[in-house]
Amino acid sequence: MRAVIVPSVRRALPVWIGAGIVGAVIFGGTGMAPRDLTQLALRTPGLALGLGLAWLLLFVPVARLLVRDDETRFLRSLPFPQWAPRLIAAGALVALQVPWLILWLVGEGGFGGALALALTPIIAVLALVRGRPPRGVPVWRGPITALLGVYARALRRRARDALLRAAGLALVAGGAAGLFVRNNGLAPADASVLAASVIAVVLVPGWAGTLLPLCEVHGQARWLASSLGASDRMRVGVLGTAIGMVYVGAMVIAVAIAAVVVGELAVALVLVPVGVGTALGLALVVTRGVVWAEASVTPAAKVVLASMVASALAVVMLGWFGAVGVVALVTFGLAAVPVGGRESAELASVK
Amino acid sequence: MSAPFLPSLLLEDLVVKRGGRTIIAKLGLSVAAGEVVGIVGKNGGGKSTLLMAIAGVLAPTEGRIMIAGANVWGSSTQRRASRRALGYVPENADPPGFLLGGELWAMCAASRGVAGPSDALVEAMGLDELRDVAIERMSLGQRRRACIAGALLGPPTLLVLDEPDNGLDAKRLTVLGDLVSGHCAENNSAIVATHDRDLLTRIAARIVEI
Repeated sequence: MRAVIVPSVRRALPVWIGAGIVGAVIFGGTGMAPRDLTQLALRTPGLALGLGLAWLLLFVPVARLLVRDDETRFLRSLPFPQWAPRLIAAGALVALQVPWLILWLVGEGGFGGALALALTPIIAVLALVRGRPPRGVPVWRGPITALLGVYARALRRRARDALLRAAGLALVAGGAAGLFVRNNGLAPADASVLAASVIAVVLVPGWAGTLLPLCEVHGQARWLASSLGASDRMRVGVLGTAIGMVYVGAMVIAVAIAAVVVGELAVALVLVPVGVGTALGLALVVTRGVVWAEASVTPAAKVVLASMVASALAVVMLGWFGAVGVVALVTFGLAAVPVGGRESAELASVK
Repeated sequence: MSAPFLPSLLLEDLVVKRGGRTIIAKLGLSVAAGEVVGIVGKNGGGKSTLLMAIAGVLAPTEGRIMIAGANVWGSSTQRRASRRALGYVPENADPPGFLLGGELWAMCAASRGVAGPSDALVEAMGLDELRDVAIERMSLGQRRRACIAGALLGPPTLLVLDEPDNGLDAKRLTVLGDLVSGHCAENNSAIVATHDRDLLTRIAARIVEI
């Protein structure tokens, strides 16, 4: 049971945290009740589709561990019934969807629970789909593109589930930010600051999951990159670019959803630069954190911490300075990014 | 390819300290074009540390390392020039595990501005079977073959191999010896750290004990 459940719970944890933050934003701050949301979803097919898609993106990566038996194949060699792990996995497949089930059970009772469970077979089928194994030799035109290609592959092969989760959370974060703004009736600049702050907080569990593979490849590729002539500055630049792509990508999804939910062009016009600028500033600050984490013995804890601190910093700066806080955040991020890194520190002692 | 009078590798008063401990103390060494140097010594004696410093992975505490006339730890132009003239395989041969063999060679080729593995290299090292395999799924011997192939692209003026015999079967070890000898016959050089004296004899290496 431990072999089946523990890894899945570990993977589900960021989803629960993300859902918890969204729940606090939607149902705490605005006074909206779960029933209001579920009723709205039942009346609005677009919202229902969006919620369902978000949950698929969030939960399919968790379901992969339960539906495929890659991690538990060794259990077949043990002397107990072969159906036992499968039964436990099937139970976990339902039970680990706690936030989704609670929303629908509280909102619509037994009918809602049945509706929520209706997605489970689709989740199971999607979780069984395996991508084609990578093949072929890329053509890179220089050291920077080669290094960027390596980091992009780290994201695609090591952080695919985390990217899906980030996309799912981006949908939810955008929806939550949009609802929050709409219910507060603010001017465009204040509305954008509020929305960007909400998105920056809700997306922490989504972004954090993509950072550890990047942190690992940053360390693993060090000897190779150094011996091939890539300076630490180039490596940090490529790392920052990869992090920036993830942060801006998720932010763009969230901003697009928020703009649709708010439904005001004036807000959307301010929200786009504020959101994208916030994502860029966050990426710069987090790049510093990942470089710090790579040199430590507990990189996983440190990248999560870096992601949380960066988002907290963004909220503080946006709160203090309004939309101008984006400039302050980017400036702080640029100052924080190490331009020479460890290599320069070592070189300082060479005569 | 370096000019005949310019050493492929020159170490001057090299000192490397790690964790406050002096690993390499005032080492001087010159490797001529076309020469193979074998680094031998007891475990923990600093062979890998020395090769890491030469390969530009670990900065020395004092001294100077020149490859084909370019300072490995000099200005950015010098650093780039020295590393373009270098092919390095560390002891663990552990590039990022998710990369395919072909992607590793593409990265090496793009960074040095050279073509991918030649047909002769593919044939000699059996690279066809490694092209689409992730490095983390390769055995130690396969990983080492993939890394040696990456290091040989160019070919570099100086080949730096740390325990290249680890994980290689007898057939591949013979091929490796032939490749190193052939590499140096074209006026390039190699520096090889190993415990295998037979390999060093086979590639006619000048032995340096540290």
